Order: sequence, then structure tokens, then C-alpha cells
Amino acid sequence: MQVFLQTIVGGVSLGAVYALVALGFSLVYRTMGLVNFAHGNVVTVGAYLASTFYLSTKLPFALAMIIAIVVTGAIGLVIERVLRPLENKDFDLMLIGTIGFGIVLDALIIMIWGATGRAVPSPVPTAPIDIFGLRIRTYDLVVLAIAALATVLLVLFLSRTKRGTAMQAVAMDHEAATAVGIHVGRSNATAFMIGAGLAALAGGLVGPLLYVSPALGGALGIKGFAAAILGGFGSIPGAILGGLAIGILDSFTAGHFQGYSELVTFLVFTVIIMVRPTGIFGERTVNRA
Amino acid sequence: MTTGLALTVEGLTVNYGGVSAVRDLSFEVPGGEAVGVIGANGAGKTSTLKAVMGLVPRRSGRLRLGDVDLGGVSARNMVRHGIGYVPEGRHVFTGLPVEKNLLLGAYARKWDSSTKATLSEVYDLFPVLGEMRHRLAGALSGGQQQMLAIGRALMSQPRLLLLDEPSMGLSPKLVEDILAVLLRLRSEGLTLLLVEQNAKLTFEATSSCLVVENGAVAMTGTSAELRNDPRVRQIYLGL
Amino acid sequence: MKRLLVVAALGVAAWFLPYGLDSYAIHVVNVILIFAILAIGLGLVMGIAGQVNLSQVAFFGVGAYATAILTTHSGMGFWVAGVLAILATVLMGLVIGTPALRVQSHYLGIVTLGLALAFTNWVTNASLSGGAEGISGITAPTLPGVDLSSEYIYYYLELIVFAVVLGFGLFVVRTALGRRMRAMRDDALAAGALGAEVPMLRMTAFMLASVYGGVAGVLYAGLIRYVAPESFNIANMFLLLAMVIIGGRQSLIGCVVGAVSLALVRELLVDHPTIAQLAYGSVVVLVVVFAPTGLAGLPRRFRAYLDHRRGTRGTAAQLRPFQPYEPEAVSRSTQDQLLRVEGVTKQFRGLKALDDVSLTVSTGEIRGIVGPNGSGKTTLFNVISGLYKPTSGRVIFRGADMTGRAPYRLARAGMARTFQNLRLFGDLTVEENLLVALDRWSTLSAWRYALRPLSVLRRDRALRRSAAEVLERYGLTEFASLAPKSLPYGIQRRVEIARAVAADPALLLLDEPAAGLNGEEVRQLAEIVRSIRDSGRTVIIIEHNMGLVMSLCEQITVLAGGRVIASGTPAEVAVEPAVIEAYLGDSMNTDDLPVPSAGEATR
Repeated sequence: MQVFLQTIVGGVSLGAVYALVALGFSLVYRTMGLVNFAHGNVVTVGAYLASTFYLSTKLPFALAMIIAIVVTGAIGLVIERVLRPLENKDFDLMLIGTIGFGIVLDALIIMIWGATGRAVPSPVPTAPIDIFGLRIRTYDLVVLAIAALATVLLVLFLSRTKRGTAMQAVAMDHEAATAVGIHVGRSNATAFMIGAGLAALAGGLVGPLLYVSPALGGALGIKGFAAAILGGFGSIPGAILGGLAIGILDSFTAGHFQGYSELVTFLVFTVIIMVRPTGIFGERTVNRA
Repeated sequence: MTTGLALTVEGLTVNYGGVSAVRDLSFEVPGGEAVGVIGANGAGKTSTLKAVMGLVPRRSGRLRLGDVDLGGVSARNMVRHGIGYVPEGRHVFTGLPVEKNLLLGAYARKWDSSTKATLSEVYDLFPVLGEMRHRLAGALSGGQQQMLAIGRALMSQPRLLLLDEPSMGLSPKLVEDILAVLLRLRSEGLTLLLVEQNAKLTFEATSSCLVVENGAVAMTGTSAELRNDPRVRQIYLGL
Repeated sequence: MKRLLVVAALGVAAWFLPYGLDSYAIHVVNVILIFAILAIGLGLVMGIAGQVNLSQVAFFGVGAYATAILTTHSGMGFWVAGVLAILATVLMGLVIGTPALRVQSHYLGIVTLGLALAFTNWVTNASLSGGAEGISGITAPTLPGVDLSSEYIYYYLELIVFAVVLGFGLFVVRTALGRRMRAMRDDALAAGALGAEVPMLRMTAFMLASVYGGVAGVLYAGLIRYVAPESFNIANMFLLLAMVIIGGRQSLIGCVVGAVSLALVRELLVDHPTIAQLAYGSVVVLVVVFAPTGLAGLPRRFRAYLDHRRGTRGTAAQLRPFQPYEPEAVSRSTQDQLLRVEGVTKQFRGLKALDDVSLTVSTGEIRGIVGPNGSGKTTLFNVISGLYKPTSGRVIFRGADMTGRAPYRLARAGMARTFQNLRLFGDLTVEENLLVALDRWSTLSAWRYALRPLSVLRRDRALRRSAAEVLERYGLTEFASLAPKSLPYGIQRRVEIARAVAADPALLLLDEPAAGLNGEEVRQLAEIVRSIRDSGRTVIIIEHNMGLVMSLCEQITVLAGGRVIASGTPAEVAVEPAVIEAYLGDSMNTDDLPVPSAGEATR
């Protein structure tokens, strides 16, 4: 039982990061019907930016993170603007276009920061706290708190603000949204920007948990995507739950299958998707088959 | 509600993938009047409405609301010039609550006390929406969704209301309700352009009508004349 | 003839290529050929069949690793190991293709990508595959009298294999199987409604892709004689994807061109791999936005642009009159029930689109289904043709319970339909649209492609002859090679009807065939429908144009609010108060309605 709980605890903080990545995927999908395959690479950019400002310019961790979020948000705007002609037209082409962006970002990352990675020291004391015999790292709690805060802010933005409501409306019916006076393109750009910002947040947070390298985003991106689908693509609670589920699944497979954890994770994921293509909170997604 | 403005359409042509859906269509909706457009499916009724709204590109044609030329106005700015649009098939924002749907109708305006006032006017017109204000729009019945779509369009305080088949899929009882709403809006001085396949509703709600066939006007007349016209009966009953 | 010369010239050039190359260059060329084979496979599954497959590189890996393992561990000869490796890859293809039965598009993308990652994860960790070090010392392929360890000679082996697999790929694309796959890519729903077994086709596409991956993997193992995980990582998958996109995914030649040019660029920038990556990533983005058909599509776009500039307005092709079918001498007095719908209810969320609908259609009848918009007519068609599963109730077709069967099964049982908003395959020509329908061949018999290619060709020729007949009958001959989207609406409608009838149905469902047609076209339509019926088929027609329905149908069923409110002969339903209510409203004075004589406008 102890081991079991410890495994869950171990998976939760990484799960929270997956959840943030999944939120970005879901938000963009929800508003634009687009899967951003470059999302993972944006995470890497965010991780590098945050760690660079934190390590070399000695900015406080929080400030470094904010700068990273702003810069990646701008990258999100660029991606949306370039792919805008394909919006609401060819789904698969747009998907491939974002893969192209991913390749470009990947190359830029290596050009700017080099192919080798870096370790980021934890910004809070490293000694784990002991709660009922479970050892929890302080930083894990920080990650959880920030992820929860980001989720709450996002939900508030979407449900309480005029712009947030309009963004949801665009996702549901872009023609009706146009008719009530909403600028669909601008709304999509906002979605993309926020999505990229969430990616940077995830990247910045994961820095002290994992090793920051050009390969970071690939792994986080695909797991975050899997999390989004698992929870029900486009659903915000789904993204959170999916993220945590994948995090815990990861933790379990790492414990039981060591090197083969990735293999097992993806096999389990594939089976779940085949049994329930709409995910946990899936509304019936648009069937474009 | 504010008084309606006149809509003038001259030589409207709409092309869909190289095929003309509407050809050189001209008509006028006098301010405060209700005009109907009837015709078979595929005759170009919806295309006409969408083209007026700017949702499909106009190949040619002039468009005026009151004294304002709408030629260069984009679809999302039509509402700012006073056009409210009720799309075919309702197209409410299904995942949002009723009240959010209505508020989004006023997206182009500032959300302030006057929005509140309009909201209560809409609830007054459609009491059922008030009862269900926190319900998701997708959970409403077809008739309630239609009311919501009309209410949403009214939230922008339009000077002209475009309605695309508000009777679609509704039972006769509900069609009667829609008719009552249209008559009330008309009596309040709003200009209405109603596209319908339900001839009865159209004739009762409007003062004059166009019959379109193959994207062009086949007949015009007052609604009273047309309802007894043998050709109209032929179209609708094949007699 | 010109094409043959080009092929011959290319062949000769390829044959003499090694004479001008040093040993490094020939190695590069050998690797490029392997990538070209992979790209063809990816083009087939993604470009032709429209299945987002991001695990092509895993197929490649399985082929290479299986060869490596079988030669080093089991001591097999290269050729035996190669054949077994390809079989192993096909198995893998079937496994990775299975999710395509349930999910499509980005879902399929993530699943295949995940499985590809799972594969790399396995080979990096398993001791069988040598872990991160990989496997070296793979047995070299041998042929009596030929030294395949020389890369110059190996080139010829690769060249021959390449020519064979490219030829086979083109053969598939240009005949029945490829046509069906392209139809499925354009519109899986319409393809299914014409009898294409969509699940089987998707699996076949993955299988083809895996064969190409396996072949490439075996060749790679024989060439490099060393395999390691990094050759099969995701970066290479994306490189491969870029090749296919840049070259033009819908053309196999385009895929080859993309593979060759991108591989060359990568070679030129071999000292600056990140710059190369930056370059091809950018090119992918640009291609996707500005030239979605890739390099292969450029000539056609250029020509279209020139035509547009010169102002040449389409073609001068003309619609010819329809030539009626020979009336079938079958007596229609039989009270055969072809279709029986029993108490069908269809519920969407809170909405009851159909409410306990029952109707029976006899063989040889023209049945009209009318009703206001939104009354459930199209939903009824969707239930009958298998697109929707009813919430309750049964659909009996030709005496068998077909409720909720897949559309392709119903199509194969003798049902065909048209769609309200036209669902022609946009990327296929008019003739190919008909060919897809004429082709009643089971996808299972695709084995003929490998074992009896000539019989495939013969069948295709026969199909083209039948297509010519159909085109002729419907007066569409001059439009045969045109894209449906370029045709006037009325002609597209006629093509769709011709396509449905080409599927040789016993029951034809027409969903608002007169919508958007002008008076003359409606008259022609009535003539066509009558002739189709006279040729022994039963027709159900949903129509809004009451004049057409009244003149055409013997029996009419009227729907309103998802319920049958009246049924009977045109004369009967036209005076039915409920019908008049639904169409004109009860306030109309019905007393002055004359007793209708079908098809005539009295007064």
C-alpha cells in the first residue's frame, strides 16, 4: 500500500505537467479544431527560455517563467497567422503544417542552445517533506499549486470574461459567432497564444524535474497529447484528469517495466483509445472520417 | 426595440464553386415592413440571406440599409450596422448556457445596464428562455432553440432582422408561436426579411413576398395575392 | 509513346549512373533509393488512402531489425531472413493499422506515432536487438556470381527492387484498389455507401505501407549491415513525412521526387544538419500553405493559372440527352416487399428525429417521401442506408433484417443512394467516380495484385468499357475526364445519379435530386427516374418539389415532425387535411382545391 501510494505521488507532479500540456492542446483544438503537433516543441522552447533566464541572468524563477510565457505566446501567434489560410478547411494539411513548425522550432532550439541538455536546480529547498510516511518533494507541491492555479485562471477566463466566452462560441459555431460580431481570426490567435503560454509554463515547471534537452518537448508533447485524448479532446477537466492518469501510468510502468515504460504506456493508451475513442469526458467529437 | 431601417438589394449575384446560386436579384424591404422569400430547396433562398449578411461572398450587387451602403462591410461588422441574423438550423452555441448565448448576441455592444435591459426585454418576449437561463443551449428542445436564436439576434438591437427558416423541424403548434413572435416584432416596427419554405407562416407574417426559382425572382406580390395564386399552390402541393 | 521514351531514358541513365560516382557518392545514392521506397509506401497509405500513418519508420525498423536478428542469432541466410522479415513487417502493419478501424485523422496520427515510439523504446532496451548499440555483423546477401558486398553492385539490386515496387505502386494506384482508396480518402462515407469495404481498405493500405517499409528495411540491413535504434527515430519519421509532403503525397512519383531532392539537400548540408532541418521544416510549412499538392502538383496548378490568365473558360464539353434504358419485361404486379421499415425511432440527444416510422415499399415502385424541412426525411434515408443505427425499430431489405448494418454491406446487398448535398469524389474524374461504383469486387481479392496482375488489368479494362456505356447513356461522355467540382450543378446531380445506378442497385434512394435544378433539368430528371424504374429497379425519392413528386410517384409517404402523417396515392395525400396543414396551413380554404389529376397544373 505504501509503495502504491508513493508511486501515485511520484506520478502526480509529472502528471500535472502533462495536464498543462494537454490543456494547451485542448484549448487550441476546442477553439480551432486544430491539433498543434508543434506544441511539444513549444514546450521545449519554454523550458529553455525559462531556464536560461533563471540560470544565466539570475532572474527569480517566477520572473524567468513569465518572460518565457510571453515569448512563446508570440511564437504561438506566428504559427496561427501562417496557418490561418487553412483554418476550417483541410484538417490533415494543417496537422502536417504544425509538424513542419515543430521541425523548424526543433532546429532553432539546437542552433540557439546546442544539442546537449542542461540540468536546472530546483528553486525551492530540495529536502522532501514527510506526510504520513509518504515522501513528497517540495517542488512537486509547487508544480501542483501552479498547475492548479493556471487551470482555475483559464476556466475563469473562459467562463467569466466576454472574450473567453466568445472564444468558446467560435469553437462551437464560427459562422454564428461571425454573425454576432466576433472576429474569428483574432479569437483563434488568442487561443493559440494562450496554448503556447501554457506550453511554456509546463516547460518552465518541468525544467527542475527533468533534464532540459532538445528531446524534452517530444516526449512531453506526445504524452500531453495522449493525456488530452484520454480525457476527451477539448474538455478541460478531461485534460487535467488525462494528464494525471498518464503521469501515474508513467510512474507505474517505470516502476514495473523499467526501460520499457514508454512501450507499455503507449500500448495501454492505444487500447484505451480503441475501446473508447471519445476519452473519459468525451463529447462526441466531430467525425471527419 | 428601435425602429427598423429599409434594406435595398440591387443586382445581387452569388456564385458557389463556379455555379451561380443567385442571379441578379433585386428587391427592397421597406423600413418597418416584413418581406418574405419563398421557394423550393436549392432555389437560392439561404444564399440570398447569407450574401446579404456577407457570410458568402457577393459576386456583384449593391446593398443598402437605410442610407448606409453595406458594400464593403465584412460579415462580422454587419451586426454593428444593425443587422441581426437568425441562421437556418438555429446554430445556437450548444455548449454554453442560454444566458451566455443571449449575451453573446450583444457581443458587438458594450455589456452594461442597457444590455441588461435588452436581456429582460428578450426574456419578456420569450419567458421560457428566462426559465431556462442557466440550462445549456444544447439541452433545449428544437422550438426553444429557435426562440434562443431569435432572442440572440435581438440582443444586438437590430434595425433589420434576417430569419432563415425559423419553422424548420417545428411542430404546427410551435410554428404558431414563432408566427406570434414575428407579428409582435413587426408591430414594434422592426424590419424583417423572412426566408421560408412554410408558405402559410410566411404569408401570415409578411406584407409582401418574393417567390424565387433557380436563384432569380419568379413572382412578387402582396402576401394576400400570392396565397391564392395557383402557381404558388402548384409549387407547394404540386396541384 | 512519349512517356515510354522518358521511362526508357531514365532507365538507361539510372543504369549508367554508377560509372560517374565515387564510392561515397554511390553509398549516398543507395541510401536515397531506400528512402524513396519508404516514401512510396508512405505515399500509398497517407496520400492515396488518406490514413495518417506516423509509424512508417517503425515498419522500416522492423524489416531491418528482423533481418539483423534472423541472420545473426538464427544464422539464416540473408534472403530467407529477408522474406521472413517482410512477413514480420506485414504483421506489424496489421497491428498498427488496427486502430484505424476505430479512429482517424489526428487520433490515428497520435496512436501511430505512439506505437512508433514504443518500437524504438523496445529496440533500445531489449537484449535481443542489441540495446542502444544495435546489431552489427549482419550476413551479407549473396548471389551466385555476383558480389553484393560491393556497393556498386548492390546499387543494381536496389535499382531493380525500386523499379519493381514503384511499378507495383503505380499499378495499384491506377487500377481498382487505388481508385477505391482514393475514393475513401475523399469521402469515406460516400465510398462506403457505394460498397467499398472501408475497414478492409484501411487495413490493406497499412499492409501495403508495411510491405514497402519491410522491403526498405531488408535492403538497408543488407547495405549497411548494422542496425541501431537512432536510424528509426521520430526525427527520421518527420524527415520522411517532409519528403512525401514536399514531393506531393497524392502522387507516387511526387513522393520519389520529394525523397530524392530532400535527401540530396540533406547530403549537401551534411555538415550543417540543423540548417538542413530548418530548411526542410520551413519548406513543409510553405508547401502546406501555398502548394498543398506538393512539387508534383505544381505543373497542373501552373497550367490552371495560365488557363485562368488567358481566360479560357472551362471546356466546351456538352451534356447529351439521356438515353432511356430498355424497359424490363418483368411484370410488376407482384406484391413483393423489397423494403420494410418497422417502427423506426431515431433519437439525437433530446431530439426525436424519427418517431415510430413504418413503411413498406414494393418491388418496382417509385415511392415519394415528402415533408417540410426538418421532418426527418434524410434521417430516414440515413437509417435505411445504414449510416445511422436506429434507436429502435427494424429495417428489412430483401427479406433480411439489415438494421444497423454497415453502409457497405447494405450497398453490397443492392442498395444505392445519392446525397442531398452531393457527395462526389472531388479528386477523382467523372469516369473514376463511376468506376468506383461499377466495381463490385471484394477488397479481399486484392491478393490478385500480387499473384495475378493480368487478371486485374483485364477486369479494369472491362470496367472501363461499362463506364463508357454509362457515360454514354447519361450523356456525360464529354465530361469523362473532368473533375466533378468543375461542372455545373445540374450535371453534378446527374453524375451522382449515374454513379448510384452504376452500382447496380435493386433499390435506389434519391435525396432531393431536384434541389437546385431548373425547370428543364427537372423534366429530364423525371424522365431519367422513370426509365431507371422501368429497367427493373425500385426508387425511393425524397423531394421538396411537389410537382415532381406528384407526377412521378405512385405512392407517397408524408412525414412531419418525425412521424408519418399520411400515405397513399398523390391524389389521396394532396387532399389530406394533415398534409395541407403541414404545407400550406389550415387557415387556407381547402374547399376551392380541385381534385388533382396527377402531374397537371389545373386552372
